[in-house]
Amino acid sequence: MSETAIRFAGATVRYAGADRAAIDGVTFDVAAGETVVLLGPSGCGKSTLLRTVNRLVALDAGRVEFYGSDVATLDAVELRRHIGYAIQAVGLFAHMTVAQNVAVVPELLGWERDAVRTRVDELLELVRLDPVRYRNRRPRALSGGEAQRVGVARALAAKPRALLMDEPFGAVDALVRADLQRELLRIVRELKTTTLFVTHDVAEALRLADRIVVMRDGGIEQVAAPDDLLERPATAYVHDLLHAGDLPRRA
Amino acid sequence: MSYFLDHPARVGSLTLAHVELVAVALIAACAIALPLGLLAARRPALSGWLLGALGALYTIPSLALLALLVEAAGLGPAPIVVALVLYAQFMLARNVVAGITGVDRAQVDAARGLGMSPSQILVRVEIPQALPVMIGGVRVAAIASIAIATLGGYVGAGGLGVLIFNGLTLHQPSMIVAGSLAASILAIVADGLLRLAERSARAALA
Amino acid sequence: MSLARSRAIALIAASPLLARCGSKNGSVRVGSKNFTESFVLAEIYAQALEAAGLRVDRRFNLGSTQIALAAMARGDIDLYPEYTGTALIDVLHLPPEQDPKAVYATVAREFARKYDLTWLRPSPMNDSQALATTKAIAARERIATLSDLAPKASALRLATIQEFLSRPDGLSVLQRVYGGFRFADVKTYDIALKYQALTSGKADVASAFTTDGAIATDELVVLRDDKGAWAPYNVAPVVRTATLKTYPSVARLLDAVSPRITDAAAQRMNAAVESGHRDPADVAAEFLAGKTG
Repeated sequence: MSETAIRFAGATVRYAGADRAAIDGVTFDVAAGETVVLLGPSGCGKSTLLRTVNRLVALDAGRVEFYGSDVATLDAVELRRHIGYAIQAVGLFAHMTVAQNVAVVPELLGWERDAVRTRVDELLELVRLDPVRYRNRRPRALSGGEAQRVGVARALAAKPRALLMDEPFGAVDALVRADLQRELLRIVRELKTTTLFVTHDVAEALRLADRIVVMRDGGIEQVAAPDDLLERPATAYVHDLLHAGDLPRRA
Repeated sequence: MSYFLDHPARVGSLTLAHVELVAVALIAACAIALPLGLLAARRPALSGWLLGALGALYTIPSLALLALLVEAAGLGPAPIVVALVLYAQFMLARNVVAGITGVDRAQVDAARGLGMSPSQILVRVEIPQALPVMIGGVRVAAIASIAIATLGGYVGAGGLGVLIFNGLTLHQPSMIVAGSLAASILAIVADGLLRLAERSARAALA
Repeated sequence: MSLARSRAIALIAASPLLARCGSKNGSVRVGSKNFTESFVLAEIYAQALEAAGLRVDRRFNLGSTQIALAAMARGDIDLYPEYTGTALIDVLHLPPEQDPKAVYATVAREFARKYDLTWLRPSPMNDSQALATTKAIAARERIATLSDLAPKASALRLATIQEFLSRPDGLSVLQRVYGGFRFADVKTYDIALKYQALTSGKADVASAFTTDGAIATDELVVLRDDKGAWAPYNVAPVVRTATLKTYPSVARLLDAVSPRITDAAAQRMNAAVESGHRDPADVAAEFLAGKTG
């Protein structure tokens, strides 16, 4: 407790030809080991904000710091190898096996062959995929849920200091999604990984987050723990967002 | 038909020479088309212009282009190899562009996010995925090159064209048939082999 | 296969042909013009060199004399069979002479001086130009010589090839030396088809070469060049002088073969290719093995 893992200070991104900024002067901190969920409707800027951390998106103003260093001063490629990244479409490399996919970042970092092999098996076990059965499978032969698990394993393979996830469970059905959310909670608690998670699903946010950042039109509406958000919504917008559907109680 | 059967060694060695011409030209053409196609794939504005220019090159009648090249490079294999390299560009570059731009964007995004450098993304993700389409381009270019390379017989480059053009001059239809038949067989074999390669590249993606 | 490995393989595969493309050494390039006899002679030369272990690159079918000489000048070929008469009149633009030795001496001297080309030993074969007609027409018109034909040409049709009309020692030299020779009709044919025009009655006179296989028949008769409009056309290998320096044995090897190429041998070989439809390479091989001429 509590080093600041990620700091956003006035982060602003403007896309050419748009009338307003995609994200405008966003400021908040993510503590080490914390799971912060960026919640909002599509177009609110949550994905853009996420991608400024690993420099897939460049800032037009403001600063993003990763464990105290301004990311703009770091080598982007090197930075990304130490930050886990998982996306909705998963993007598993179709011409590689599951094991080769998971091994990507450790290999980029030059790990020893044996260390890589051990780590791959470790991670497959972590995401509850039997290494013996899944190691040599092709992505085509995986179900949606299995693919997403491999995606998470791949993101965590090199023991990253933070994990970025962009609506990773958006493309699977409700039962699988619930399953994956449970798994992720377990993994993140076990590894104590700092996690920044993007979703538009309120229930998912309430379930997974230590703190939720509600975003709207490129700015922050409220930052609070799930209970605080439910009991004390800061604006009418937050209130409506939270009550626009069935709300599961936090377990 | 009789020449083909009576002179198997001659037809064989001319076929080998023909293969050499086409192989050298294709290798050189790929070496040029790959970076050219990559450049076009990265810059959509450029790609339209580039493919248009290469397409225009392709429509130049081969005999005319060859005559110009003989002026510049003399007789022998050089002018025909250059002509083949130029003609193949269109088919090859076009397929490089199609292959690369057809790669799943999610995989490229994931690759970038995981920390692959641009050249690593190209070599480890984009090219392997674009390979079936690119091999398809090589296949088409190979068949066209086998045909066009017969003009080599006209400019002292050797190859199966020698049989065709000598047969024309000497009024020996069976020589012409022998040359054409051997070239056709060569094209069919090349097509078959490259189809196999295409198929196995595609299988590697499954 | 990794990219690096495929690149390496490509370079290795390409190197032999690239080496051949780039260097002018390593093989002797033999050229020929685009008619049967030239093919046969060039094959004889090529095989004679190969028998002695030299590597030969065949660049046959080079079109006209002009193209062949241009190829020599550019260094695209090292040698080809050429005729003394053609060289004298067509290339050097000198007036025709009748003495074969004098003609040879002139062309050898001038080619060496002007073009750095060496004439090797000539063959006895004299492939002169000629006009041929059918025995029937010769009898009917009472023509045995070109002087006989000159005034009568205006009633007759000529079948010929393009080169005969355009070369200075073609139709134009006949007109100059004999007068007349204004044919009623002149049609150009492919070199091997023109005799068919004659024998099928589409033409009355055809231009010819004295060693053509097709005229060695009973049906056709060659008209005598009584005023000597045409020079002798002895064939010899013309070689780039530079090539002789690199491959001195070329002279010896071809000089050994040339004396054996007689009129009869040439005519037989031409007939074998033209009417027998045999491969010039086979015919040349038989000649060298001593089975012809």
